[in-house]
Amino acid sequence: MIWLEFTIMQRALLACLLAGFLMGLIGVFVVRMRLSAIGYSMSHGAFAGAALGVATATNPLATGLLFASATAFLIGPIADKARLHADTITSIVFPLNMALAFVFLTLAPEVGLSSQVANVLWGSIISMTNSDLVYLTTLFAATIAIIYFVWKELFAIMFNRKLAEADGINTKPFIYLIIFLAGVVVTFSLKLVGGLLIYALLFNPASTALQFLENMRAIVIASPLIGMTTTVSGLIVSLFFDLPVGSCIVIVSTIVFAIALLLSPKRRRK
Amino acid sequence: MREDAVIKLEDVSTVYEGERRPAIKGVNLTLKRNELVYVVGPNASGKTTLLETINGLLPTFKGKVSVFGLDMQSHGRKVRCKIGYVPQDFMVKPGEPYTALDVVLMGLYGQIGFLHQPEEKDRKKALEAMKLLGVEELVNRPMGKLSGGQQQKVMLARAIAKKPKVLLLDEPFSNLDPESRAKIPSLISRLHEEKELTTLIVTHDIHHMIDQCHRVVAISNGKIVFDGKPENAIPFIENHPHTTSLEAIR
Repeated sequence: MIWLEFTIMQRALLACLLAGFLMGLIGVFVVRMRLSAIGYSMSHGAFAGAALGVATATNPLATGLLFASATAFLIGPIADKARLHADTITSIVFPLNMALAFVFLTLAPEVGLSSQVANVLWGSIISMTNSDLVYLTTLFAATIAIIYFVWKELFAIMFNRKLAEADGINTKPFIYLIIFLAGVVVTFSLKLVGGLLIYALLFNPASTALQFLENMRAIVIASPLIGMTTTVSGLIVSLFFDLPVGSCIVIVSTIVFAIALLLSPKRRRK
Repeated sequence: MREDAVIKLEDVSTVYEGERRPAIKGVNLTLKRNELVYVVGPNASGKTTLLETINGLLPTFKGKVSVFGLDMQSHGRKVRCKIGYVPQDFMVKPGEPYTALDVVLMGLYGQIGFLHQPEEKDRKKALEAMKLLGVEELVNRPMGKLSGGQQQKVMLARAIAKKPKVLLLDEPFSNLDPESRAKIPSLISRLHEEKELTTLIVTHDIHHMIDQCHRVVAISNGKIVFDGKPENAIPFIENHPHTTSLEAIR
């Protein structure tokens, strides 16, 4: 029994490290490419999809991924062509995804906060399975490989999209790639903090790293490290005080960001 | 100067998204190889639009833009790898995580190509261009901490590092100090001659390189109102009906 608990904790710890790393890494590109509004809509798209999975007794990961991808593929071109401000798109898509999520959760076989519904809402890292870890590890390797190979283009787009185009880089596919990757990473990290809070993990580590560092390569290394540290710290706090893991992770990561904001040399100069 | 057309605009009109009135309309313009042309005009006359239309960054509403004989709407990215471009009033904010060398090296990314990493030779190209512009000591300085003039020189180095065939420069001397204003135009002119470039410079101040340029094109309200020799440009501007609106370029 002790061994079983130890295995659960090992899985939880490993999941925290992997998801914290991935969210921190992708978050840098989402923040620097000013895709925060799209990332926000998409992470709640993953939440709505996972809720559909619960309602239809199918795999919430698959439906979450489907919804996140659909949101990404719809919002990317709409943002480009519809001449709508990103805030406007978020204001429409975010409530829609939340409404769909709650409708799906109401339609779930056991109405009310069944364990699966609760998992989707707040996350349940304790319920991480070996399969979840395999998915996260595969995603970890694939994401690092993709970022390595297209780093040059991403770096130029993060600096200035128009200049990147002027230098002959086709920026659209790379932006869609980041939106899609963010959707996949969010979906596979849903069990960590749940659909309502997941967005904080995409945004907080990158924003924290940006307060201190003036070198993009250093930021891309620091943000995943901050992501891993805050998720593991949140897990420890939750175990220590017997509180929900997801909430503790988000609270810790927000406190770290607030401290970074106060101590930021960039702000002190002003 | 050779006679081959490098840049050719045929009845080109460009309309910005969400607007009805074209920013440039019915523009016909040809730049031959190794020609250095000044584009002058008052604020909002369409100078920057013209440059961005040539570069294929703005889609044309009507007409055709070709560079090296290739249509910019369909071959824009390939052609842009050979174009050195300095945008107007480009300033990096303090705290932005890019060094001056990063910014110059990035200009080469299109040439380096997808899935290829920058090599030592690319770094050398970037450093050479920075040395030429006198900003080699700024290599590792954060771009956002540089003065307006230093940033403008870094942007010029970025354009030159590509070893371009065409230079499109939008107000490239506006933030330079008086000493650099005397030096940099001569450097551009020398590069233009040595490398047989085709150069289009948008400027408010016609006097910077008036001796070195081959032609002056004046734009007013999105239309070309003068296209001729530099020595005729100033008298034209003085006598043209749009003198009031063109006052700014004198």
